Amino acid sequence: MTLWNILLDTLTQGSIYFLIAVGLTMVYGILKILHIAHAAVYTVGAGVGLAVFRLTGNFWAALAAAMVVSGAVGVLIYRGVYFYMLDQPRIVPLITSVGLFLLMQDLLQKPYLMGPYQHAFPAQDVFPSLTLPWGTVPSAQVMILVFTALTLGVLYGVFTRTRLGLAWQAAAMDRDMAGAVGVNLNRAIALNFLLGSALAGAAGVLVGVFYNSVYATMGDVPSYKAFVVIVLGGMGSVSGTVAASFLLALAETVLLSSVGYVLPRDAIAFLVLILVLMFRPQGLLGR
Amino acid sequence: MGYLVSVMTFASIWAVLALSLNILTGYAGQVSLGHAAFFGIGAYTSALLAVKAGWSFWPAFVAAVLVTGICGALLGLPSLRVRHDFLVLATMGVNFVVVAVFKYVDFFGGALGIVGLQKPQIFGWTLRGWGFLALAVAYLLLTLWVSDYVRRTWAGLAFATVREDEDAAEAMGVSVPRFKIYAFAISAALAGGAGSLYAHFLGSIFPDHFAFVESIGIMSMVVFGGLGTLRGPVVGAFVLKILPEYLRVVGDYRYTLYGGVLVLMMLFQPQGILGDNSWLWKRLQALYARWRPGPQPRPTSRALSAANPGDDPAPASRSGRVNPGERTHESENS
Amino acid sequence: MSPKTADVILETHRLSRHFGGLRAVDQVSFQVRQGEILGLIGPNGAGKTTVFNLISGFLKPTAGTIHFQGRPIHGLRPNAIARLGIGRTFQIVKPFSDLTVRENVLAGLGHDLYPTLRALREHYLRPDAVRRADRILEVVGLSEYADVRAGTLPIGLLRRLEIARALALEPVLLLLDESAAGLTHHEVEALGALVRGLRDQGITILLVEHNMRFAMGLCDRIIVLNQGRILAEGPPEAIQRNPKVIEAYLGHSGRVAHR
Repeated sequence: MTLWNILLDTLTQGSIYFLIAVGLTMVYGILKILHIAHAAVYTVGAGVGLAVFRLTGNFWAALAAAMVVSGAVGVLIYRGVYFYMLDQPRIVPLITSVGLFLLMQDLLQKPYLMGPYQHAFPAQDVFPSLTLPWGTVPSAQVMILVFTALTLGVLYGVFTRTRLGLAWQAAAMDRDMAGAVGVNLNRAIALNFLLGSALAGAAGVLVGVFYNSVYATMGDVPSYKAFVVIVLGGMGSVSGTVAASFLLALAETVLLSSVGYVLPRDAIAFLVLILVLMFRPQGLLGR
Repeated sequence: MGYLVSVMTFASIWAVLALSLNILTGYAGQVSLGHAAFFGIGAYTSALLAVKAGWSFWPAFVAAVLVTGICGALLGLPSLRVRHDFLVLATMGVNFVVVAVFKYVDFFGGALGIVGLQKPQIFGWTLRGWGFLALAVAYLLLTLWVSDYVRRTWAGLAFATVREDEDAAEAMGVSVPRFKIYAFAISAALAGGAGSLYAHFLGSIFPDHFAFVESIGIMSMVVFGGLGTLRGPVVGAFVLKILPEYLRVVGDYRYTLYGGVLVLMMLFQPQGILGDNSWLWKRLQALYARWRPGPQPRPTSRALSAANPGDDPAPASRSGRVNPGERTHESENS
Repeated sequence: MSPKTADVILETHRLSRHFGGLRAVDQVSFQVRQGEILGLIGPNGAGKTTVFNLISGFLKPTAGTIHFQGRPIHGLRPNAIARLGIGRTFQIVKPFSDLTVRENVLAGLGHDLYPTLRALREHYLRPDAVRRADRILEVVGLSEYADVRAGTLPIGLLRRLEIARALALEPVLLLLDESAAGLTHHEVEALGALVRGLRDQGITILLVEHNMRFAMGLCDRIIVLNQGRILAEGPPEAIQRNPKVIEAYLGHSGRVAHR
């Protein structure tokens, strides 16, 4: 594996991890809920995107529809379920979240939705591939990298330049205090779910195109990895999540290309998670 | 008839799983979403000993219980460092790693699993059908006895203190790490026995039988019935295991049911349908009190409700409680 | 100050605990003598509760030593220290809410068994254990609540339950962390009588107090902490007249004048 390939793989995988994990991080930052059902939202995004793409043949419409529907599902989960358990011990929303995840994923596997099959998502040629002096970036990867760069820019702007971003940061520091000083918490949290879930939906479409495959259980692996990312990134810190996403991707890529295949990538990630939880519970990048 | 017997056998095995998780989560307060890993370790231990070493069921069963208990103590180590929701993440991780080992390490048979297990024999007579059901029920009864016994011991009291407040438990002389490991070991050992029964009942096992979704299923049985009680996990397991077998609609939506049960119970009745303060359990107690001649059923509530005898339907819940805002006698004088 | 080693049961030597740059407890040396009621007072943030947490093992010292009955106990886990005979209460009460009041006390009575395998065999609702628990509940005045779930008790009773649980350890030394906080005047008086009674039974008492009048009236000796260091030490009358103490308090909050 050349250095170029390692770099490209790391950037692509890291971008995917980031797009999925950022929603989880934002939810954890404000509500301290480990939102496992986020994985199902990601799959919903991929499914909706594929359905719209098949109907219209237009990738952009598919991406937009995926983001809208996923965002709506996220807000629905908040207003319909978590909203009623904000004062309960943290374990209550967590168990609920696991239940929601199982429920949604089981429904997605029904024949009238996605069924137990893999579906192709043939939208690879939306972007041109990019030829650089060091090598070529295939079009699907160009798409992922461009989208991630845009998202990073938008998120940075929202967090630093808008009242909403300030409200999120205030709520993440102290929810009651933020409410007391006039932050409209319900709106801020709902928008938090909307944005995080929409990004997960977009990630679903991008991953579906990248691997040319969409299926009901596609949320399993990346979502568990997203937990590894938010734990590594210091629980609730968006900048930590960015760093942790690319770090995990780099570690995995290097490990796989040098050591080879001992355990599947996912088991390695989970071993890392257990060890980090035990020995650096504040996260690798936490203080 | 054969179908019913087999369904009841599965339900009994799952009742054991639910009861064993209940010791860990209901007694000691350590929420685990990786219980299927212990189920799997028991099943694989028993199956490997039978297939590779030619052991018969009984010693393999005992070995499965012991090995899984030891694994439980080891895999419980994360609980010494992380609490609450991060413990849940760690137990999920344990589940994934264990299944990955079963799946990708050749020694464990890989994705093809282990096949060709014999049914247990006793005095030359093979236990199948009703015979195996009797064995499973016997093990369920043993698990019930263990659960009840543990709850009444000093260790059971120590588990409760760890669940309620770890600092206060330490201040009472309870070594929190020691009792967390005890809880993991006991819970895992019982689940390991269930795994052994399961392997020999089916005759073949595969890694996916012990996946994360199964852990969620076990948790939903405990939560549905009532965490911390003995009746709850048993009833939860039988209802949630039998329902999908006989209602076609439910069978197709088995995992939707498990997931939905978790969500609905957490929203509306977190103590479970048969928990101590649940709506249904209070009704049942009231009914029992009415039908039963003579004094009130529960000795503790009898002492407290002596002042207002008569038709109080749930004495324990009313008179056994002091209003949090209520002042003490001395303060009323001031 | 010359140590009379014979009757010293607890001794700290240059005990320090830093949190980052903050020296919460800084080179604190003092002795607790057999049979006394020793008060640890000081303004908010003086390091009183940190000293308690160091003695009871909930925090590890950054430097310094703690000896209990001649034995070093710094570095032991809290449960081991509790089993040696140091009982403590918590300022923010930590009842086992789901257990009955009697079971809360029984939990302390098991302290000898927890490290042994007998803990896994023996039932805790034994008549002798229940009798002992009920006797302790009588001492603190909680008998009528024995079968009540602890989580439903009001704060005044929970503070007594904290003491009852600590007594179940059969302590040589009892650490009381602001047991009078949030109590009414009459409850405070009853608490004072209870503490004196325990001392008369031979239990040595070290208490952290915010309530000045209560501490002055109850303690044989008082140590004043300020910003992690010992400011003054002596009998209550001397402490009340000590200009450094008056300044520290008035400088911080003027609490002496009001309480």
